Amino acid sequence: MAERNAARAAGRLFGVGVSTYLEICAMGPSKAMPAGGWEWGCVRMEISAKVTVITGVTPHGQGQETSFAQIVADRLGVPIEDIAVLRGDTSVAHYGRDTYGSRGTAVGGTAIVMSVDKVIKKAKTLAAHLFETLDEYVVLENGKFKAPGITAREITWAELAAEAYLAKNLPAGLEPGLEASSFFEPENFTFPFGAHICAVEVDRDTGEVAIKKYIAVDDCGNQINPLLVEGQVQGGIAHSIGQALFEQTIYDENGQLLTGEFMDYAMPRATDIPEYTLGSTVTPSPVNPLGVKGVGEAGTIGATPAIANAVIDALAPLGIVHLDLPMTPQRIWRAMKTRTMATV
Amino acid sequence: MYPANFDYVRPASVDEAVALLKRHGEDAKVLAGGHSLIPAMKLRLARPSVVIDIGRIATLSYIREAGGAIAVGATTTHAEVETSKLLREKCPLLSETASHIGDVQVRNMGTIGGSLVHADPASDYPAAILALEAEIDLVGPRGKRTVRADQFFVDLLQTTIAADEILTEVRVPMTSRSVAYIKTEQKASGFALAGVAVVASPTGVRVGITGIAPKPYRATAVEQAIGNQRTAHAIEVAAAHAADGVVPLADIHASAEFRAHLAQVNTRRALERAFARA
Repeated sequence: MAERNAARAAGRLFGVGVSTYLEICAMGPSKAMPAGGWEWGCVRMEISAKVTVITGVTPHGQGQETSFAQIVADRLGVPIEDIAVLRGDTSVAHYGRDTYGSRGTAVGGTAIVMSVDKVIKKAKTLAAHLFETLDEYVVLENGKFKAPGITAREITWAELAAEAYLAKNLPAGLEPGLEASSFFEPENFTFPFGAHICAVEVDRDTGEVAIKKYIAVDDCGNQINPLLVEGQVQGGIAHSIGQALFEQTIYDENGQLLTGEFMDYAMPRATDIPEYTLGSTVTPSPVNPLGVKGVGEAGTIGATPAIANAVIDALAPLGIVHLDLPMTPQRIWRAMKTRTMATV
Repeated sequence: MYPANFDYVRPASVDEAVALLKRHGEDAKVLAGGHSLIPAMKLRLARPSVVIDIGRIATLSYIREAGGAIAVGATTTHAEVETSKLLREKCPLLSETASHIGDVQVRNMGTIGGSLVHADPASDYPAAILALEAEIDLVGPRGKRTVRADQFFVDLLQTTIAADEILTEVRVPMTSRSVAYIKTEQKASGFALAGVAVVASPTGVRVGITGIAPKPYRATAVEQAIGNQRTAHAIEVAAAHAADGVVPLADIHASAEFRAHLAQVNTRRALERAFARA
């Protein structure tokens, strides 16, 4: 702010914009959704002791291939390299409600958790049978089944999988195999929130906007993979730079699209993206066992108003209180010109 | 879109290329770096039945001193012009201008000859070529002729080159460091909404402007207004004439009014920078 005030005193158009948001994510309870808001997931411990995870969400950059493998690796105590996450093909993942509305991990991840926990429960029953004890005395620790106080013997996943599929010594009523699938029906949406601050300078002559500083603090609940979270927020901010400052779809009076090529439709490029400072707080969601809220949209929800507010703040000394998006140099210049003429 | 069907020929010399052009006439197009022709062919705005690729004729790519000027061969890439030690020292405006063209990939392929012949009203070189009063060699069946920069650009996407001629060389004078190229980019394409090139010398100032009008132009009103003055006030007064005598282009990216304004702003900035570098 000191920098802004000093710049203003020197006659420069410097502005700071703030936006705070609360969003509705993790679509969603089926009663509130048009065609089902559940998600489906399957976890299978293979006879090889490798793990196959199948999800109905289809990551296309969000990274669930990694985060779901992490979740399953942690819960099963298996190396992450041994986990394959299958998705994106209805002949493989027969049912799913897909990836949108910041729901991939919150809803899809929970379906995976449900399935992994079912597999662990079944595995404990089989291990208990092999230990000749009761289910409740069996623990899974570091990828091994143990019955502390009952026996010193430990059973690995490899041994257990062999038992489950060769099926020579199963307890009565237990089916062979070690797989489970689940539909997770969320009881509520999640409510991520955040605050973004942006500082810009507007070139008085050309109307061009330069972003001088960008800070974002977002709360998406627990973070399975902080690198993925950061990537999501960065991508969202980049998108917002485009939406706030460059991108527009223009039709002529005959309905002909005039901005049908990237030579005419201006996308943000790497050189347009400033250094961000990103932070987070963690308020776990009570609505799913992972405590995650979703972060796919946070960046773009927080950033577009922060950037727009910053430009308006920069132009405030000229009496400008509003500009339509995108705030292109021409639009800004026209606004500056009219105000200038109006005060003459 | 895919281009319409075409035949492809790769002549080994300029003479061979000229003979091919003479034979095929309007049906043929010359290919150098391909960054103007191929996009036009993909949009089917150009539909040559024969493409004559001169891009690998080694004798057309050079930057060398020649009789007090610097000669640049037609198939010299923008990257080569940008990084040429000779040009940076002795004609820095051309290198500076080349550094603003497209992006790294475009500069590695696009050529000065191809760009000039295509004469896109928003391309960068024309501003510099005009301000430098460069000379351009055209070779055809009737021999070689030399055209001055101010005779070369005729209209939108049109130069004085004949259908059976090839641009072989551009000659630029040696100048001091007192030059500048200031460009406002169209945000999507990177082409110039307003590109102003200035060459300042003790005898006066030359200003070339691209992006504003259907063809690039010398801002003679600016040149006359500034004369030998160098003060900030004089610069501002002179720059206000940047769009005199032209009807600025108008499109979805910039109105005529905004283009005229950018011409004035960039002229002021280019004059300031050129004078500061003296």
